[in-house]
Amino acid sequence: MRSALNTQRGWLLGGVLAGGLWTGARLAGPLLAAAAIDQGILKQDGHAILVYSVAIALVGVVQAIGTALRRYTAFRIAYRVETDLRERLFAHLQRLHFAFHDQAQTGQLMARANSDIQQVNLVVVLLPLTIATTFLLAGVIIVMVSQSVVLAVFALGALPLLSLAAARFSHRLHPISLELQNELGDYSGVVEESVAGIRVVKGFGTEARQEDQLAVESSQVMDRALAAARLRANFLPLVDFLPALALVIILGYGGHLVLEGKLQIGDLVAFNAYILYLLWPLRLVGMLVAQAARSSAAAGRIDELLATDTAVTDPAHPAALPSGGGEVRFEDVRFGYGSGPPVLAGFDLVMRPGEAVALVGPTASGKTTVARLLPRFYDATDGRVVLDGVDIRKLALRDLRRAIGIVFEDTFLFTDSVAENIAFAEPDASMDTVRNAARLAGAAEFIDALPEGYDTLIGEHGYSLSGGQRQRIAIARAVLADPRVLILDDATSSVDPTKEHEIRAALREVMRDRTTLIIAHRAATIALADRVVLLDGGRVVADGPHEELLATSERYRTVLAQAQPAPVAGASD
Amino acid sequence: MPSDAVLAAFSSDEEPITREDASQLARRLWSLLDKYHRKIYFALALIALWTACLLAGPALVKYGIDHGLTAKDATALYLSAGLYFCIAVAGFWFGRAAIWSVSKIGEPFLRDLRNKVFRHLISLDLGFFETEQTGRLVARLTSDVDAMQDLVQIGLAQFAQNVFLFVGAVVVILVLSWQLALCTLVVVPPVWWASRWFRRESSRAFLEVRDRIGHNLATLQEGLAGVRVVQAFGREPAFARRFRATNEAQYDANLETVRISTRYFPFIEYCGVGGTALIIGIGGWFTTINIVTVGTVAAFVLYLNNLFEPVQQLSQLYNTLQQAGAALKKLVLLLDTVPAIAEQPNARDLAPEGALEVEHVSFRYGKGPLVLHDVSVTVGLGERLALVGPTGAGKSTLAKLMCRFYDPVDGEVRYAGQSLADATLRSLRHRIVVVPQEGFLFAGTIRDNVRVGRPDASDHDVDDALHALGIRERFLALPEGLDTEVRERGSRLSAGERQLVSLARAALADPALLILDEATSNLDPGTEREVEHALEALTSGRSVVVVAHRLSTAARADRIGVVDDGRLQELGNHAELLRREGRYASLWASWTTAQTRAS
Repeated sequence: MRSALNTQRGWLLGGVLAGGLWTGARLAGPLLAAAAIDQGILKQDGHAILVYSVAIALVGVVQAIGTALRRYTAFRIAYRVETDLRERLFAHLQRLHFAFHDQAQTGQLMARANSDIQQVNLVVVLLPLTIATTFLLAGVIIVMVSQSVVLAVFALGALPLLSLAAARFSHRLHPISLELQNELGDYSGVVEESVAGIRVVKGFGTEARQEDQLAVESSQVMDRALAAARLRANFLPLVDFLPALALVIILGYGGHLVLEGKLQIGDLVAFNAYILYLLWPLRLVGMLVAQAARSSAAAGRIDELLATDTAVTDPAHPAALPSGGGEVRFEDVRFGYGSGPPVLAGFDLVMRPGEAVALVGPTASGKTTVARLLPRFYDATDGRVVLDGVDIRKLALRDLRRAIGIVFEDTFLFTDSVAENIAFAEPDASMDTVRNAARLAGAAEFIDALPEGYDTLIGEHGYSLSGGQRQRIAIARAVLADPRVLILDDATSSVDPTKEHEIRAALREVMRDRTTLIIAHRAATIALADRVVLLDGGRVVADGPHEELLATSERYRTVLAQAQPAPVAGASD
Repeated sequence: MPSDAVLAAFSSDEEPITREDASQLARRLWSLLDKYHRKIYFALALIALWTACLLAGPALVKYGIDHGLTAKDATALYLSAGLYFCIAVAGFWFGRAAIWSVSKIGEPFLRDLRNKVFRHLISLDLGFFETEQTGRLVARLTSDVDAMQDLVQIGLAQFAQNVFLFVGAVVVILVLSWQLALCTLVVVPPVWWASRWFRRESSRAFLEVRDRIGHNLATLQEGLAGVRVVQAFGREPAFARRFRATNEAQYDANLETVRISTRYFPFIEYCGVGGTALIIGIGGWFTTINIVTVGTVAAFVLYLNNLFEPVQQLSQLYNTLQQAGAALKKLVLLLDTVPAIAEQPNARDLAPEGALEVEHVSFRYGKGPLVLHDVSVTVGLGERLALVGPTGAGKSTLAKLMCRFYDPVDGEVRYAGQSLADATLRSLRHRIVVVPQEGFLFAGTIRDNVRVGRPDASDHDVDDALHALGIRERFLALPEGLDTEVRERGSRLSAGERQLVSLARAALADPALLILDEATSNLDPGTEREVEHALEALTSGRSVVVVAHRLSTAARADRIGVVDDGRLQELGNHAELLRREGRYASLWASWTTAQTRAS
């Protein structure tokens, strides 16, 4: 956090200098006004009046320039810090290991990068103004004390109360605002579900039930809003009252001093102006104090995130990946998620180059875990994984992951063109390479039929594709870089059963000459493999061709039976 | 890059409201505030008093200077200081009372508005909900009411106070010295003009900021959601670059707002100082020719602040007013939408049991083409009718007419001889219940969700309903049984379980006629069988209309209606229709071959 500010040291200094300029001009203005009254008006000296009023106008120019510089630098620094911090945070999040992302919630990470950073920004914006205000306050104190210590103490005495009140107000308002936000959330929750579930509401005629629920929520919203209003009603008039108190003292006691000949009338007017000048800055300082607590909490959360080290890193001296056909060995691999129970307990598997192995097992038997250890999304706690004779932990992550193509269970596509999605691994890939990958994946035909072919925007916010089409684009993406090992993690599960055979044909094509690990439930997908490995309790319990296991393994039969979807004809037929 | 959908979510669809709109909306708002009129006058009086106290200060300073200091009269000085103190205290109290009384009007008003809009929204017919997007309707009750909240909470009181303050200050300085006042008021037009410029420019710039933030958040969100893919393909640096682009774009937009305010605020500040110079210069010259006193000059310097602040604030408030006006316009439009399905004044309860007769019914959605042409069909007591046909043929529409989600444009739907249009909605929803395709769950426990079927049912009734469907045990087996919160993380119910809850609701409602919309998607294998059993239990002894997507379901019905092209093409039982060798027979033939191929 501090380092983010350090880069802005030059601007910060400039901001403080501009603040000094502004302070000087602000102090000078009322003094000139006082002189104009005392030397000019009271002495009926027209020339002096003219000179002083022109001087006031000129000092005003300096003051305006000071304000402009001060504001510009303050905001520029704050936005720069915010932007840099967000960029660092994003780059860091992109590098963090899978285990981190498994337990982190996207919404919370978004909040770190958005609202938390803005909280920090608020304090940074106020920082130069606070410094300038401190200068101004010091200057005003000096000027007033030089005239009358007693007057200065009485007149300025009430003003710190303004900062105090502002801090207290902001401090007490914050929890109420949060509660109000929560209540508003509950309230809109009722609205949302009533609209989304309107068929149920209408179907059972339960409008009254929803209305009652909403009435409760809207009353709670009102209660919180009124609590906030009560705070505002107590604070806002104080903002007028405290300075008025100072003005009263200046008029009464200052006037008394004037009558005694110890003070000039012009000084009274100048003091009045100072009090009005200090009004806003002092309020802001109070806000800053309250904001600082929230901002430092936000900064703490951001720092914590930045301090999280990624668990999977490149070796210090990576080995080169030898050319090979993609032989994969799991040797006595053990693994558990975090401090959870072991998922793999001595898993052994050898995949010969070009071989297709189907990994089958009951839910939570560790199938997906096996697939995740190979590209080092996680590191095994014990044992080792070897690719073409090299322990994968000795390879550069980039080389390892380039050698492995993966099709995930949920096909995530980016908001980009079809071509860019397919060429994800190699953005510089030629259009021919892209077309070739699409053809291999059986996607070429439907892509050509899209409104803008390979330039069609897809992904979360783009043209919506069917599950099968998305799957085929994901397959094309996986094979574009020509990986030696291919992992299909439940790649057909989200596909409509009637369309499944199209995907299977595409898969058969891309699996040729590649070592392939297939995680599957459906018999038809399992049939793509040369060999089936049955996983149970974190280890291999059966190994062999599908027909053989079907004949010999009771466990295999039960696992398969559980995994098959009920026939569409309906279970009760 | 995020597409238009994202942009639309972040940019506003508001168009500025016209002058006629504004006066119409103001009248409408005034009538919505009907029961608060007296309180509003009271609050306005408090605001006026508060403002008067604020304005009295400089006048008292003038009095103190002229009658106390210049005339060397200590009594006058202390009198003015004492009065100033009293007025400041009074101002404090009036201010508190004013803010509090405005809130005591505004907050209950907003609560009533929320309830009123919601009650109206939910009373509208299903057709309305099918033509409007969920998000837009929700926005009426959230962001639009929030815009009103900004207005009511701070806007109106501030508006009133600033108008009073400005007008009051102008009047006071004119009274003190019209000559000096005219010179002072010279600074008002530039401030007004600059404030309007600022308002226009900054709202444009802030819209841009909002768009860019939207872009940036979309990139961020995608980077997080797709982080596994990014890492799997070793593309972290490229994504960091991609984020940098949108992040810097957000920075640039932010800086633009800074540039605009960097021009405005120093200008305003200069107008203040320049105004002071003007007052002192011209006022000073006026003192030499005895037009004004020193005290008046001092008072003018203090009043200058009271002229500036309101002008700035009012130009800012203009935005709030605009937004609130646009929001109110949308709210009024919603409140003025008349529900197409409403209870007739002389509606009667439906008889407890009877046949449902659809007679020569035709229907169109809105001004669209006819989707049902002259359909007639009767569902006898205890009969099970299946509606089949291609998607969009009209079978779901027919089902919706049978429960009066819509009224037919021609023909009539009768239950036990009484037209549905003449029935009380309460009895209608009690006799005829629709179970939608997807089991929709509300926030709350499983028990709460079942109780939606009949809100006054006891826990015992809920248990009975679940028991009747043979599914009580399965829900009791959950760690928290029927008290399981359905929306909480970790206790999400599967699609099949949601469907079971939905069926239990219907069982609790205990209707005479059930309309079922069969789920098109596959349920999880574990619950599929249970859903079938529960359905069996639910439908026995009731008349049933099922919109069938699977021919296996249709085959089990007493009669099958084939709907195509908006007409009832065939009607009869499975065997009859197969013998007829018409549409149903060919549907059945192609479906059975598909089934054998799949298995």
